[in-house]
Amino acid sequence: MPQPLSSKDAALFRQVVRHYENKQHKKGIKTAEQILKKNPNHGDTLAMKALIMSNIGQLEEAFVLAKEALKNDMRSHICWHVYGLLYRAEKNYEEAIKAYRFALRIEPESQPIQRDLALLQIQMRDYQGYIQSRTTMLQARPNFRQNWTALAIAHHLSGDLEEAEKVLTTYEETLKTPPPTSDMEHSEAVLYKNTIMAEAGKLEQALEHLEKFGRRCADVQAVLEMKADYLLRLDRKAEAEAAYTTLLERNPENSTYYDALIRAKGLSKDEPKALKALYDSWVEKAPRGDAARRIPLDFLEGDDFKQAADAYLQRSLKKGVPSLFANIKALYTNVAKRDTVQELVEGYVSTPQSNGSAEGQTDSDNTEFLSSSHYFLAQHYNYHLSRDLTKAMEHVDKAIELSPKAVEYQMTKARIWKHHGNLEKAAEEMEKARLLDEKDRYINTKAAKYQLRNNDNEKGLDNMSKFTRNETVGGAMGDLHEMQCVWYLTEDGEAYLRQKKLGLALKRFHAVYNIFDTWQEDQFDFHSFSLRKGMIRAYVDMVRWEDRLREHPFYTRVALSAIKSYLLLHDQPDLAHGPMATNGVGEDENERKKALKKAKKEQQRLEKLEAEKREARKAASTGKSADGDVKKEDPDPLGTKLVATQDPLKEAMKFLTPLLELSPKSIEAQTLGFEVYLRRGKYALALKCLTAAHSIEAANPTLHVQILRLRKALDNLSEPLPAEVAEAVNAEFEALLPKSTNLDEWNESFISTHKDSVPQVQAGLTSRQLLKPDTRSQCEQELTATLDSTDITIDTALTGLELLTAWGSDQAAKTAYAQKASSKWPDSSVFRLE
Amino acid sequence: MVDILPLSSYPSYIDLLPSIQTCNITNLPENYFLKYYLYHALTWPQLSFVAVVRPKNGYSKHGGSDSYPKVVGYVLAKMEEEPTDGVAHGHITSLSVMRTHRRLGIAERLMRMSQRAMAESHRAQYVSLHVRVSNTAALRLYRDTLGFQVESVESKYYADGEDAYAMRMDLSDMWVDWAKIEREDRERAAKEEKDGDEGEPVGELGKADDGDKKDQEKMVRVKVGRGLGVGDLVEKNEAAQASN
Repeated sequence: MPQPLSSKDAALFRQVVRHYENKQHKKGIKTAEQILKKNPNHGDTLAMKALIMSNIGQLEEAFVLAKEALKNDMRSHICWHVYGLLYRAEKNYEEAIKAYRFALRIEPESQPIQRDLALLQIQMRDYQGYIQSRTTMLQARPNFRQNWTALAIAHHLSGDLEEAEKVLTTYEETLKTPPPTSDMEHSEAVLYKNTIMAEAGKLEQALEHLEKFGRRCADVQAVLEMKADYLLRLDRKAEAEAAYTTLLERNPENSTYYDALIRAKGLSKDEPKALKALYDSWVEKAPRGDAARRIPLDFLEGDDFKQAADAYLQRSLKKGVPSLFANIKALYTNVAKRDTVQELVEGYVSTPQSNGSAEGQTDSDNTEFLSSSHYFLAQHYNYHLSRDLTKAMEHVDKAIELSPKAVEYQMTKARIWKHHGNLEKAAEEMEKARLLDEKDRYINTKAAKYQLRNNDNEKGLDNMSKFTRNETVGGAMGDLHEMQCVWYLTEDGEAYLRQKKLGLALKRFHAVYNIFDTWQEDQFDFHSFSLRKGMIRAYVDMVRWEDRLREHPFYTRVALSAIKSYLLLHDQPDLAHGPMATNGVGEDENERKKALKKAKKEQQRLEKLEAEKREARKAASTGKSADGDVKKEDPDPLGTKLVATQDPLKEAMKFLTPLLELSPKSIEAQTLGFEVYLRRGKYALALKCLTAAHSIEAANPTLHVQILRLRKALDNLSEPLPAEVAEAVNAEFEALLPKSTNLDEWNESFISTHKDSVPQVQAGLTSRQLLKPDTRSQCEQELTATLDSTDITIDTALTGLELLTAWGSDQAAKTAYAQKASSKWPDSSVFRLE
Repeated sequence: MVDILPLSSYPSYIDLLPSIQTCNITNLPENYFLKYYLYHALTWPQLSFVAVVRPKNGYSKHGGSDSYPKVVGYVLAKMEEEPTDGVAHGHITSLSVMRTHRRLGIAERLMRMSQRAMAESHRAQYVSLHVRVSNTAALRLYRDTLGFQVESVESKYYADGEDAYAMRMDLSDMWVDWAKIEREDRERAAKEEKDGDEGEPVGELGKADDGDKKDQEKMVRVKVGRGLGVGDLVEKNEAAQASN
């Protein structure tokens, strides 16, 4: 029950509301205080004041005030509504919904409260609640089309396609005459209804509907796409062919149209001649395009392939298309094609175009052709399926000699150094490429990335700062956060992780985590915005995409790295104080203490440095961010608080849970999930990860070791598992590794089965040591012998070196391994021992 | 191989937005929050396109890397919401193609798709854009390949102080003849009404099921109705506050 105010104060209260609506926050607070002077316990006024304060960033104080307001007036819908709004601002949606419900109970007819409740329900995917709210809203205002559309969306998203379509149709039936074609809202609603029909599997009906009304719809391209799609799915081939022909005429650069056209024509893969003729006809129609020239290389074989590849390669090389190799390399899984391409392009560089001048070619055209060909070969020999780094380097040097200003050539040189295992050289060469075109951000990005790969975070940021808005709070790094530069934050964090600077690593990974939270939050405004705009199909697609937002590879990658960081922190808690000179394995206590002291000292030095930088920035900047808000400096720029966590494994769960839910097919997710669960003593969940990993890749080397580790963990439990758990675990484990198995034989058989694959051999050797620790020196020898394998990559070899550390091998064994690796890859830098 | 795909119409590739944002910040100094991309995709879903490397085994909708192909270019476009000249026109907010994928005509194709959609879907008279005066490659594309004209030079348009050419291109020749479609529909409706009065079968519509027939009758019975013009729906640019 609202507390009564004098008429003068009631007028002031209306002013407060107006000030709030007009965002005149200072005036609003002043007026509210005027009322409160005489009526210090007036709930509604206290609530309004709280609401305004939350809008100017004083959320904490606002909460105190709002609680006071409620204490004074529990029966006021305003107090409850404001309370809910504050919870919403704090993103505590569950509490907000409860508060709105209280408000609505007091004031059931209130539109604003009902609307706010509905927005939260859809944000929280409470479909039944949303259907209820939208039904109430429709009943209150049935003359608004938006209310009908919203109810249809509610049913659609909840999975009730029938009801969704019915609601849309009911509204359509109230239209006396078809709205004009300029009515975008109507046009989109028609197409929305059509997609619902199609989604319900009523393709015939959807097609008919589209043919009748589609011609009036504004989104011409979408109507053509939908129609073509339905026709093909209905197997109405002749019409589908015509529809896809129309689409190709509008856009000849979409391979899915060609796929569909070929299906519509009933052509099979066994008719390469007919297929080639089809593509040739499109080359004629769209001579500037690439797709119709490139696709036939996928299905042509033998001489036909050679002829087509020759024409394609020469044309692109003459044009100097930089992406030619990227466009060709997909063919290399076919060895014959790979060799043909190599032979052709080698031919171009060994016999320069003799007939060139006859076609009116100039010398510079010839030079471009030649340098492009060398550039192509450099990439060819740098590619893992055709790698010969010596040749790659020769060709790239020739290309650079012919065209010293070509950024792409210099870039490739850096990439070759990367594959040599020399990240320092790679970063240096990429920096040279950057200097060739300092105004281009693309090459700046590459240079920064290579510096991060070389663990040079400072240089990386320095390069990035040439294109960031450095007046932002937090400087260049602040701008990269604000602009949601996920790739940089991830690479920067991973570079810190490699250096075991876990505070900064976690800092970056959490920054990316928070960006994903922001992206999820971003949809909120569109729940109302899109209804007003009427672009419903795009809105529904957006809602569905948000539901699997963290399926994106950007999330997968950052989650894996964050989990690795927390595992490392759990295993070596000393790393909380910074990277240690020692590795924590088999050190004596004195050395450990010495190293820890040194690390702590370094940590203090960095904190001081950071504080100075911040002071300098404070003096220089205005403190405004891009959206005009006043942004505060980060109170924990080095991640010191993050790394000080008492429970790293619990923190890891925050990253792991969405990862396992949305990317269950990632074997890395499953094997890291195992590591977390095993350390938390959650054996059933650990086993679940292994079972999932096993179904993805049964012979995965990491999995092999983990199966053994789980076996040993279960055999050596300090206290037995509860009976039901034990029974379930044992039953499931039987499928992976039957209890009766002789573990030595099992492991040796794994090694011999996979003797030609180094990662599996590494896994087998690790397992052997787990079973028989006294085999270490034998294992070390066998591990070193894997370096003789012709297939071993630098990355795998590096993993081997890390294994020696994990096994606790002595310096001599490591040196022997590293020396052998260095002589195998003389240009690498990764095997240098500190 | 690079495909040019719609961003948020049919089929929708809206899940590529984070990759598009990355493509932008990799190539250009003018960057935006993801929400600003969402704002474009959800306000003018017909106008933006994305260039991606086709996954080796085609596109998949079941998660994994084939659902997130590599983005090598995009065009982010809008309709001017409050045109100062009162003429409906489109605007290119951002266009970029990775350096490694130039000279394939990707930017040209992206532009042509967007321009056409502006004319067809939004009846844009023209499309406008800004380009750095030093960006000769882009200038060549807009002026020589696509047919844009320089309108004016905007002094210090970019944050780093560089000037911009304000360019535009007429799109009226790509318009759909909506009046003709509406006239034909009216004529067809009138004819059907007449046929209906005579109790004749509905001709080719005889195949349609009952629901559709009902729609058809409903639509022809009354001549007067309310026109919901697109103007009624124009909103103040709220989400745009997210940018700049």
